[in-house]
Amino acid sequence: MAMVEIGHFALVLAFALALVQTAVPFAGARIGDERLMAAGGPITIAGFLATAFAFAVLTSAYVQSDFSVLNVWENSHSLKPMLYKITGTWGNHEGSMLLWVVILTFFGAMVALFSANLPASLRADVLSVQGLIGAAFLLFVLTTSNPFTRLIPAPFEGRDLNPILQDIGLAIHPPLLYLGYVGFSVCFSFAAAALIEGRIDAAWARWVRPWTLAAWMFLTGGIAMGSYWAYYELGWGGFWFWDPVENASFMPWLAGTALLHSAIVMEKRSALKIWSVLLAILTFSLSLLGTFLVRSGVLTSVHAFATDPSRGVFILAILTLFIGGSLALFALRAGTLTAGGLFHPISREGSLVLNNLFLTTATATVLVGTLYPLLLEAVTGDKISVGAPFFNLTFGPVMLPLLVAVPFGPLLAWKRGDLLAVSQRLFAAFAVAIFATLLVLMLVDSAGAFAAAGVGLSAWLILGPLTDLAMKAAVGSVPVAVSLRRLIGLPRSIIGTALGHLGLGLTTLGIVCTLAFQVEHITVMKPGETTDIGSRQIRFEGFSPVQGPNFTETRALFTAIAADRSESGRVSAAKRVYTARQMPTTEAGILTLGLSQLYVSLGDPTDDGGIVVRIWWKPLVTLIWLGALVMMAGAGVSLTDRRLRVGAPSRRSRAGKANAEVSA
Amino acid sequence: MLFLIVAALLTVGASLAVLLPLTKQVSRVATADAHDIEVYRDQLQELERDAGRGLIAPAEAVEARTEIARRLLRISAGGDTQADRHGSPLAARAVGVAAVLAVPLVSWGLYATLGSPTLPDAPLSARLAENPKDQSIDELVARAEAHLAGNPEDGRGWDVLAPIYARMQRQQDAVAAYRHAIRLLGDSAERQAGLGEALAGMAAGLVTAEASAALRRAIELDPANSKARFFLAVAMAQDGRLAEAKAAWQAMAAALPENDAWRGAAENAVAEADRRLAAASPAQQPAPGPTQQDIDAAAELSSQDRTAMIETMVAGLDARLRENPQDEEGWARLIRSYVVLGKSDEAGDALKRGVAALDGAAAARLTTLAASLGLVATE
Repeated sequence: MAMVEIGHFALVLAFALALVQTAVPFAGARIGDERLMAAGGPITIAGFLATAFAFAVLTSAYVQSDFSVLNVWENSHSLKPMLYKITGTWGNHEGSMLLWVVILTFFGAMVALFSANLPASLRADVLSVQGLIGAAFLLFVLTTSNPFTRLIPAPFEGRDLNPILQDIGLAIHPPLLYLGYVGFSVCFSFAAAALIEGRIDAAWARWVRPWTLAAWMFLTGGIAMGSYWAYYELGWGGFWFWDPVENASFMPWLAGTALLHSAIVMEKRSALKIWSVLLAILTFSLSLLGTFLVRSGVLTSVHAFATDPSRGVFILAILTLFIGGSLALFALRAGTLTAGGLFHPISREGSLVLNNLFLTTATATVLVGTLYPLLLEAVTGDKISVGAPFFNLTFGPVMLPLLVAVPFGPLLAWKRGDLLAVSQRLFAAFAVAIFATLLVLMLVDSAGAFAAAGVGLSAWLILGPLTDLAMKAAVGSVPVAVSLRRLIGLPRSIIGTALGHLGLGLTTLGIVCTLAFQVEHITVMKPGETTDIGSRQIRFEGFSPVQGPNFTETRALFTAIAADRSESGRVSAAKRVYTARQMPTTEAGILTLGLSQLYVSLGDPTDDGGIVVRIWWKPLVTLIWLGALVMMAGAGVSLTDRRLRVGAPSRRSRAGKANAEVSA
Repeated sequence: MLFLIVAALLTVGASLAVLLPLTKQVSRVATADAHDIEVYRDQLQELERDAGRGLIAPAEAVEARTEIARRLLRISAGGDTQADRHGSPLAARAVGVAAVLAVPLVSWGLYATLGSPTLPDAPLSARLAENPKDQSIDELVARAEAHLAGNPEDGRGWDVLAPIYARMQRQQDAVAAYRHAIRLLGDSAERQAGLGEALAGMAAGLVTAEASAALRRAIELDPANSKARFFLAVAMAQDGRLAEAKAAWQAMAAALPENDAWRGAAENAVAEADRRLAAASPAQQPAPGPTQQDIDAAAELSSQDRTAMIETMVAGLDARLRENPQDEEGWARLIRSYVVLGKSDEAGDALKRGVAALDGAAAARLTTLAASLGLVATE
């Protein structure tokens, strides 16, 4: 069989289909031919099937250790466990770009399937723009990063996957992140289509919002998973490093969050139309920028699998084409778009504008902090690193007022709100927040004002959305059963909003507690010794050698002992050597106790049989990621809102009915 | 052949995905304005719900209602602009034909430049199942490796594989295989001598203390073991005791039968030792390698000083090769030396320069040598 070559051919076929997908619906929309416009759907779906087939073939080459494929030989090994053979497919530059394109065409196919109620020309233009993005990236994959390049004669053993990537995280983090990154391409295509059409339909926001929500949900999960992976795999105990690669994913998240909120105003009040279009363009542009930063080799990190100047230039060209092209189109057409409804500054709309102001400023801050060192190095050759101090000084102050304002937003009325009345309703939450602040100040004097204020802010953020839900369900003023029924009967988008904000509060609480109250201890331990970590103790039981499938490790066993001297669990950390690459790695040991974690990482052995051990006690650290899960759940609940399904299924109801409504 | 059939089928399928929708009759779809009206109606309904829930004040609700109504009226007054757009059938047909043709033309055209349609798949399990008679040494070794990966306690397997590794210049693997064989099957002169040789091979020919220990163990088990005797003599020569080494080789050659391979090797070594003893006079031109004096001097130095001296000599060799790069042997020695000194970066650099300076065959030999030392050409 020649499956590999058939997969290669399918990928080329997908490129041909992407070109057709760009041209046919676009031409149809311009000359007004319904058949050409309608053809966009099946072409898009066929393109997705071809790309997915190519990806399946590459995966099967990995599973079968077919070392006649250069990419497999470079990144796989016959002794690797099956899971990592499969995930290894995207654990390298070529394969991950292929996954990127698969997800892009997948979203295209989803639009094609679920857009029956879109105006025909808008749908055609959306699919056409989506096809153009696909064609650009397929050409990139085929010409500069082809995963189907063959290697003859085929070697008998591969060079193995980077051991750091041999982890369950590789199965989750990149697909989720790409679903997020690439999901914003749909918003971008919608924005570009609206600009090409020269009009923003009333329902535009309704169609854009679910895609934004879905992409945002996946991106949130992808970033959180990446953060947790770095936390347990790198052995430094940190959860966020302000690393350019992390920022590359964080910027589209911030911009996407802004888009999520501006789309609400647009949908409800038909205001902020032009701004939302711009934001949709910017969000995907930042996704593309992230892809460029990570994939071009401009940055060196675990993500930069291989560097090749031609790839960087190619992605830069794609970047210029799409960002430059869409912004030029925006400049050309923005004047013809009509602005929407009016509102008072103190209102729900006003609060969402405030949210957008802060979020875009925060995005700009991160962008500067990420790009400035790169530009400086390119111009002067100086290497500087912009790390936590810069972001603490800039990003922090921008986000702080936003976080304080979060609970107000959902409680303000549309068009004209009453800030005083809202403040009164939030009084209980505010009181608890102040109480929490004082409590921390009294109990943990060493932590100081920052920690106390942080805990207070978190309490405020957590209780605000709960207050909102309680108000809307009229808890307290009606019988419990009634308010429970009202709570369940609330529109899903309101519950989703509350969950999203609640998740934000939980994440904030986790970050504040970990930063302020974590205990770190570095010491040399010998088997049988015990050392203190905070109010707890940890006993080093001894070493045991372990033979893994493609590695050998020395495992160190520890027993955690609670403050009351009872054993609270066992934890093992290890130093591993992957035989194929002769590469050593450190495997941190993590013991989760409630919402907190005990984190043990091994250093170098000493001559007298001991070993350097770094131990952290991280209180409430898991909330950082659990909060992200709650945010994802919020987005998921919001996606089920009936409003998002209404769209405009106008077949039975026609203009006459609407006119009757107006005169009524 | 099969590839062509499947590729043709895929192409037909893709072309049909383009062609079929173009031949289908499409019912006239609703205009964009109709969609807008639907949304405005829903906005009105939602406004009522929000007002009922107190999310918007009554006065503002009235205002919002007027806003929406005004938008609705604007659409009704504006009339349907899009419905009037009638396509030109000719242009549409041209686009359709071009699209259907583009699919096979682009895909086959691009694949012809990128693909290798004649290459079959090569899944590892299928390759290992081939008839051993048709396989190369590499393939046989890979089979054995696959077998041993599953049965790492098969001592006989390691015992057979170890000398093959040594002959393939995979010294590190040879050392590991000999050690497995010794662990599982016990000591033997053959295995210890092989281990010693492989250890020396790993150190680029230098008989290290570890290698000597293995060789001496082999002599203990079988005083007549030729390999062990030969390499122990090499160790003496490397220590600067050239005369002793020569005597050892002479004794060895005398004891062996005429047609024994080791006898030839020993005689050659004796001749080489004679040449070097004769050449060790101060009047001699500086030889490309270290002189006997250098070696003698090195033997007297402390290990730290010896390393420094070796480094000076290696640097000299490096400099000489920069001026006169057409010296395959010189490059080989330089790379070995850097590897022994643990300077893998320099070794890689030397390999790169050597490959660049030498012609095809010599460069390939150099790459093979480097590979046996664990170096990989980065270009």
